[in-house]
Amino acid sequence: MDFDRDAVLTSFIAETQEGLDLMEQSLLAMESNSGGVELLDDIFRVAHTLKGNATSLEFDDLKGFAHATEDLLDVLREQNAEISAEVISLLLKAVDELRALVAATSSGNPRLTPVQQELRKQIGGAVAARSQRVIAANPKGERSMNTAAPATVVATRTLRTDIDKLDRMLNLTGEIVIAQGRLRRMIGRIQQDSAREILEMQSETERLFRDLQDEVMRIRMVPIGTMLRQNLRAVRDLANSHSKLARVEVIGEDVEVDTSVIEHLKDAVLHMIRNAVDHGIETPPVRKKHGKNPCGVIKISAAHVSGNVVVTLEDDGAGLNRKKILERAKQMGMFATSTPASDSELYQVLFRAGFSTADSVTDLSGRGVGLDVVRQNVEALHGTVEIASQEGHGTTITIRLPLTLAIIDGFSVVAGSDTFIVPQQYIIECTELTDANRKPGTSGILNLRGNALPYIRLREVFTHSAKGQSAPSTARENVLVVKVGEFQAGIAVDRLLGGMQAVIKPLGKVFRGISGIAGSTILGDGRVGLIVDVPGLLQGMMQSSLQPQLG
Amino acid sequence: MEAVEQAKPHSLGGGQYLTFFVGGEEYAVNILKVKEIIEYDTVTVVPNTAPWIRGVTNLRGNVVPVVDLAVKFGLPASQASKFSCIVITEICYEGEKLTMGVMADSVSQVLDFSANDIESPPPFGTRLKIEYLLGMGKLGKKFCLVLDIEKVLSAEEFLAVEDTTRTDQALPPSPSARAAESGV
Repeated sequence: MDFDRDAVLTSFIAETQEGLDLMEQSLLAMESNSGGVELLDDIFRVAHTLKGNATSLEFDDLKGFAHATEDLLDVLREQNAEISAEVISLLLKAVDELRALVAATSSGNPRLTPVQQELRKQIGGAVAARSQRVIAANPKGERSMNTAAPATVVATRTLRTDIDKLDRMLNLTGEIVIAQGRLRRMIGRIQQDSAREILEMQSETERLFRDLQDEVMRIRMVPIGTMLRQNLRAVRDLANSHSKLARVEVIGEDVEVDTSVIEHLKDAVLHMIRNAVDHGIETPPVRKKHGKNPCGVIKISAAHVSGNVVVTLEDDGAGLNRKKILERAKQMGMFATSTPASDSELYQVLFRAGFSTADSVTDLSGRGVGLDVVRQNVEALHGTVEIASQEGHGTTITIRLPLTLAIIDGFSVVAGSDTFIVPQQYIIECTELTDANRKPGTSGILNLRGNALPYIRLREVFTHSAKGQSAPSTARENVLVVKVGEFQAGIAVDRLLGGMQAVIKPLGKVFRGISGIAGSTILGDGRVGLIVDVPGLLQGMMQSSLQPQLG
Repeated sequence: MEAVEQAKPHSLGGGQYLTFFVGGEEYAVNILKVKEIIEYDTVTVVPNTAPWIRGVTNLRGNVVPVVDLAVKFGLPASQASKFSCIVITEICYEGEKLTMGVMADSVSQVLDFSANDIESPPPFGTRLKIEYLLGMGKLGKKFCLVLDIEKVLSAEEFLAVEDTTRTDQALPPSPSARAAESGV
């Protein structure tokens, strides 16, 4: 019995969360284009369902609160009049408190907090005030509950499932890929005629399996719209508190990405939106003075571009103050000798941790707060982030992410005695390290068609610290030219093996905090190969070259 | 879901123990902690880790860390031979089940120790920190060291490693390395 209740409770929480999200979004939509009886119906339905569920679970306080909310909504529906901003604010508050209350209730604390009691009274007051008016205006007062009946929508058949199960499925498909690679090679070694038939059969199995794998990946894909929409509320509240006007446009809601990408992107998007409202969008008087619409627009768009997901956040605010950023960067000792080649190179400093210190918040109108978080989140997803801006016309932040985190296109290389995988997204080209450019040591400069390109020697970086094995130098070396953001560098390796699809395996807790390695994968021969964390590696090299070398 | 054996003092309770050799010394581990024993195969070195972390190996598609107890106990690194194997243990690491491999020069036997066969560890005389030991198991005229494998491979041990290696590391940890650990 207890177990059953747990299961019911879990699905109650999930369902309620979805319902409250819908309610919030509908309220916001109602606010932006007032009217919309269907929206009110949606909201009403959520409150009604919540009340029903709370009743059956015997959460009396929750039921009472939901009931009060439902009453207010019912009155509003009957009244059929325009709904004022105050009422929407009141209802949004109710949504917040319902969320809190559901969380508290399900963790065994079903009482209303004083704030919630107060809010409930307010809602009751609003109902009383309105219903009197309604009765006066519309004495018939027909209350029909029928509209609250579940809408008959032609729904696709769906199934709620645990993401862990999908993760396990994905892991299994990854392992089958590896096993098949080995099997193929083994068959290839057989010297008999029958081997060809086996190989053909094997190819067919592989083809079927690839379809299955695509399907497994597809299950994990969810539309990005829901996550982007969640921010509408944040924009509204933030803009209100700064007495600014802002609205959000979402484009490309149906773009699908891996569910884990969404999880990790959430914070980054929220930070970018905060920045845009806080510092990008000007106050209405200022906007009017510059001949802009007093209401600022933040455009969030998502699109698939050549195997990547590109999320762009564009505001039509004040833009970045290039001069001040450069000044500030120079104060911090950057670009001391050189000038940044491009604006986007300069703006990369905004993503540095600690770039926006307390005094630069006023100096630079605070841009850069939280951008470090954005960069970290995006890099953790093996993505890149760029910023562009036109003073007076707004700022655009572009995030590029791989479609999935589970499999990457990698390039396998040999350094020392080990095989490493370099994610292909960073690689621009491969070239030979000519004798003229070869110098022993961890790093050096190479001449790439007349340009000086710093390079690091993977063998030295990775084997020096590895149990003191000294790696023999090889006759020839190759260089992978990589690009992170706007920064280019070379990675010198002993041998290039070629491209491969790498199924990413986490290294686990034991290796927490190791640098230069982003994960691991199983190689075709069954050994473990390490995936190089290119941004981390380059960043590490830059930081260590700033500090005096130890020993 | 089978629960991980808690680190309760089953120490002197007796039971079945697997013994194996590392650096000429015979060690014993409660068999409930041992998942399986595999042949020693290629272990991939992970850069910027403590010397006693030998690397990672592929256990049927899972990447499992392998430690070299010889180095941990202050001896020269183990040399791989045809008798070398990896004892796969399942321990409780920061409250979660974690599979970890221990390299052994050879695996010896499975013994039934009664409570009387295990003596409490001597205060000195062994190379090991006293907290690594549950006791001394009697093997005829010899003794074997009964390891508290949870302690030897505890998070504190690995975290301590992080601290000592950090000073001579060329590279500071990066956010993506942290992401690698969280397994996104």
